[in-house]
Amino acid sequence: MDKLLRNKMAIILFLAPALLLFTFVLFIPICQSVYYSFCDYNAMTAPKFIGLKNYINLFTTDRTMKIALKNSLFFLIFSVVSQFLSGIFLAVLVTNIKMGRNFFKNVYYLPCILSSAALGLLWMFIFTPKMGINQILAQFGIQGPLWLMDTKGFIILPMWVIAFVCLWQYVGQSMMLYIAQISGINGSLYESAYLDGCSKPKACWHITLPLIKPMMATAISLNAIGSLKFFDLIFNMTEGGPNKMTNVLATHLYEQGFKFFKYGYASAIGVILLILCLIVTFIVNKFIKIDNYEM
Amino acid sequence: MKKRILSVVLCAAMVLTMFVGCGKDGDSNGVQKITWMFWDDLNATEDLISKGYKDVVDRFNKDYEGKYQVEVVTTNLEEYYPKLNALVAGKETPDCFIVSPGPNLDVYVEPGKVADLTSYLEKDGWLDSFNGGKGAFSQQTYDGKIYAVPLNIAAACVFYNTEMFEDAGITTMPTDYNGLLDACKKLKDKGYTPITISAGTAWCLSMLCGYLCDSEGVDLDKLNSGDASWLDSNVVNAVNKMVELSQYFQDTAAGDTNDVATANFYNGEAAMLIQGSWAIGQINGANPDFEKKCGVFAFPGTNGRVIAKSDSLAMSATTKNPEAVIAFMKYFTDDTAQKYTAEVGGKIPVTTVQYDADKAPAELAYVMDVFKNAKSTFGFYNESMASTEAGSTFDDAMVSIYLKQNSVEAGLQIVEDFYKNNVWNKD
Repeated sequence: MDKLLRNKMAIILFLAPALLLFTFVLFIPICQSVYYSFCDYNAMTAPKFIGLKNYINLFTTDRTMKIALKNSLFFLIFSVVSQFLSGIFLAVLVTNIKMGRNFFKNVYYLPCILSSAALGLLWMFIFTPKMGINQILAQFGIQGPLWLMDTKGFIILPMWVIAFVCLWQYVGQSMMLYIAQISGINGSLYESAYLDGCSKPKACWHITLPLIKPMMATAISLNAIGSLKFFDLIFNMTEGGPNKMTNVLATHLYEQGFKFFKYGYASAIGVILLILCLIVTFIVNKFIKIDNYEM
Repeated sequence: MKKRILSVVLCAAMVLTMFVGCGKDGDSNGVQKITWMFWDDLNATEDLISKGYKDVVDRFNKDYEGKYQVEVVTTNLEEYYPKLNALVAGKETPDCFIVSPGPNLDVYVEPGKVADLTSYLEKDGWLDSFNGGKGAFSQQTYDGKIYAVPLNIAAACVFYNTEMFEDAGITTMPTDYNGLLDACKKLKDKGYTPITISAGTAWCLSMLCGYLCDSEGVDLDKLNSGDASWLDSNVVNAVNKMVELSQYFQDTAAGDTNDVATANFYNGEAAMLIQGSWAIGQINGANPDFEKKCGVFAFPGTNGRVIAKSDSLAMSATTKNPEAVIAFMKYFTDDTAQKYTAEVGGKIPVTTVQYDADKAPAELAYVMDVFKNAKSTFGFYNESMASTEAGSTFDDAMVSIYLKQNSVEAGLQIVEDFYKNNVWNKD
């Protein structure tokens, strides 16, 4: 191995595929997007440089951008907090049960592997007034709300509905990450703690949680970036409506680019999204201190 | 050594298989292949017009076997334009595609993405087969050049349940707004839901607003050019009428999609449906028994003006097989297809074809009456605005007013602001 690592040609050869892929699939498109974000560009005629106009419009005249930004930040906070808490809770629960551990693991993880488009449509039908939940509520004489159309409140009901559907879909992923980390903790740590009279909740608090901190940083980063980029469930459940009130940055970008042919403007939204992702990743890495313990 | 050779061969095979997927379909065995993009799944649809289009494709592929072949690319209506836009932007424009006239066609005509069809239409008397000759192409003509071929015409009317109207004692159809309100009141008093409409599919509500605006004398051209304001009293009055009328909508209008709202009508859950005549195919396709109790009248109070819309076909400016595309387009406007349009689909044909009125759905005769008595036509409001985004802004503003998220004035202010920032003061 040492001999291989001293061979610079070998290092270059091994790095080349990933580097080329990264350059052509990620780096060049990002640079192009940044350039287009300063242009009036409809993808059919040559881009026309307009300076910061797209960015100025985004933050001054575009009311949907304000809604999308608010919803994306709501999604970010809701997803990070809810998936963090419920992911750890489920992971601890599943690792501590003796019967049906694999069954529950699979049940919680199953929604993750299903198509978001199909799930979005499924949940849309469930929340449609003429079918699903409201029809069940009507059997008990209760008139259900307009789950996907109500526009009252600072964070409107459809956003809460979508956020909970998202939690249901992705909590299994967080759970699996924490389970992987918990499985790596040496059992003797728990045994000695129990011998010293430690209860199970205390062992969880003082042993499990500190030792899964590295995974917390990873899971929170993944959740945060994933929630900022979130698109498919919203698109399939509400398409950003009613009146663009459930738009997030990704759906706003899609609408501006692919519906209205404003690729320059959509690129500016993409750049804002990229900056937000970088900021969130920086904050997570900065504030979650990881202590390396011998496990 | 053997291992090295084997690894080189495997690597080469891997790279080659990667490039196989990048190859473009070409003409094979002398067959010219063309793609046609459409907004409905032809194999799963229940819509009679879409089924008719499938027949056209099958007929064309059979008749031109070994010479031309059409491959259909389908998507659902909501995702149609984004997908088409992406293909056009990626220089993968389908050879032929369906499009609605107005801003949706403008965006392809202005950068030269669609072909000028004038010379093809003028050849072999194709143009003369259309009802009204060149006049049939008014919405598809730019600077005297025709860029799309209309396939059928649909008029937006009020479909009503004759049994419910009879039961409510309504013997004469409303001819003005107050008459419509009276009819709604009578129907409600009898325990019926007077109107089924979709606010979940925003254009349905905005179509009603378009009619109300027109009946108030709103001049859309003046609004588009900046010579009138969205806050003018006639626009405000029109939208106030929509709010007044909304008390007679079904309870679930805010969440119902267009399909659900239409189903409410043909399932006998509501007395009126304000919809384009394309709904005839959907109504009769889903519930054939409903045909005998379905009546149609013109939207009241519009001084004989009717909203009309046509499906049109455009050809890519970069198609390699224009002859094949034109031959394919002609199949949509030949007598077989146009007869089907009227006799089965329930839409108004664009050609001078003689169809059997007895075979056609009863609703079509009523729509034809509305259309014949119309003094003039106008387009969908959201498709007659300065851009697709302007239309979308209008749609959303109407929904927000209906949902009481905005007052009438605040909702219209949103449209006014959009026009100020993006249309009137666009540099």
